Amino acid sequence: MSDHLPKAIDEGLAGCHSCGKVSPAALGRCPRCGSSLHTRKPASVQRTVAYLLGATALYIPANLLPVMTMTEWGDVMEPTILEGMVEFWRREAYPIALVIFVASIMIPLIKIVALGWLCAAATGRVKPSPRVLGRIYWLTELLGRWSMVDIFVVSILVALVQFGTVMTVSPRSGALAFAGVVVLTMFAATSFDPRLLWDQLDLGENSDTIPPQTESE
Amino acid sequence: MRRTRIARATWPQPSNGPHRVACHFCDTLHEAPAVPEGTAARCRRCGVVLYQNRPASLVRTTAFSLASLVLIGITHSFPFLVMKSNGLQTELSLYRAAHELIREGSVVIGCGVGVFTTVAPLVMAVGLLYVNAPLLWGRAAPGARVVARWTAHTEPWNMTEVFLLGVLVSLMKLGSMAELVFGVGFWAFAGLMVCMAAAVAGIDRNELWDRLEVADE
Ligand SMILES: [Zn+2]
Ligand SMILES: [Zn+2]
Repeated sequence: MSDHLPKAIDEGLAGCHSCGKVSPAALGRCPRCGSSLHTRKPASVQRTVAYLLGATALYIPANLLPVMTMTEWGDVMEPTILEGMVEFWRREAYPIALVIFVASIMIPLIKIVALGWLCAAATGRVKPSPRVLGRIYWLTELLGRWSMVDIFVVSILVALVQFGTVMTVSPRSGALAFAGVVVLTMFAATSFDPRLLWDQLDLGENSDTIPPQTESE
Repeated sequence: MRRTRIARATWPQPSNGPHRVACHFCDTLHEAPAVPEGTAARCRRCGVVLYQNRPASLVRTTAFSLASLVLIGITHSFPFLVMKSNGLQTELSLYRAAHELIREGSVVIGCGVGVFTTVAPLVMAVGLLYVNAPLLWGRAAPGARVVARWTAHTEPWNMTEVFLLGVLVSLMKLGSMAELVFGVGFWAFAGLMVCMAAAVAGIDRNELWDRLEVADE
């Protein structure tokens, strides 16, 4: 390409992920802040996929198991996340139902699919445009935390609704599975190295002119 | 990226150049000249912000982290919500939101909620204050580099805004069956969310670490 911009890795340099200082990767540790220094995050794709598989496995019990037990005058209700949402919808609280649907059902799914797709792109299995990739990565980093809202709702209800025989709320195992999904997708997002996407892009661009480099971490 | 204009106000640069920055998103290597106050340097390849020069960065971050610390104190001293039902009354506090889960046997989620709503904001506020306040006088506090690193690692786990959304959802859930009153703790927590965001956004990572390096020279 006409303007080939230099990359840190080509000069054996690495930008510290913690303080930003550019140092020779051979140092192993950042001379400024002491973080370990890598040109690319080690085993990034493998670790991301492992976290994603864990999150996917937990996503099923997270949605099938009840997140809490509500006892009101002896009546016992054990809603799952989806049933909690449907209850809001039935009571015509549409905005809240929508918030729960997006935060608890959609975001974890979108995150798992998007990160899986980014892993496929980082290993050259799909070849999308870099702009799209940037948006998707930014989105997965931004949205993930909001899924935690249902866990906080459980914690708030458990703390507030303690009226002895009249009405009580206690947590159930679905909440644990759900919190696991959120935390695992957050780990998956931080293990992923977006620079791999650009490496793939350069590999594709250079392949017609010069033989592909045998670059390995 | 390449600017000929000399910055009006910039932060002191460490003497042991060369000052370069690698894009954390695509690994493109750039020279890193000072940019005028209130502007940002963007990656020439992918457009991501490389670093920015925040106006009055140290003063802002110090002030907002101090305010956050005060608000954390208030939030923990007053109830969040008071719920009245059938002549009985319960209170929600951050401590109870975590502790009641642990008491009900959900130790993992209870600890998680405690970390996301209490420990992480506290570490952030104390860490930012400890690192930034002495820098106002050009000094680095003992162990400032370690504290700065841990503060940065804590950032994704600070979920004040998500917890606040959880409070609103709970309010909708309980609104029909009980009388709910907002306490001082709730408003302090809302203020904490704003101050914490302002403190984190107050200083650029590269500026902070350059200043720490200069302070030790
Ligand atoms: Zn570093
Ligand atoms: Zn870039």
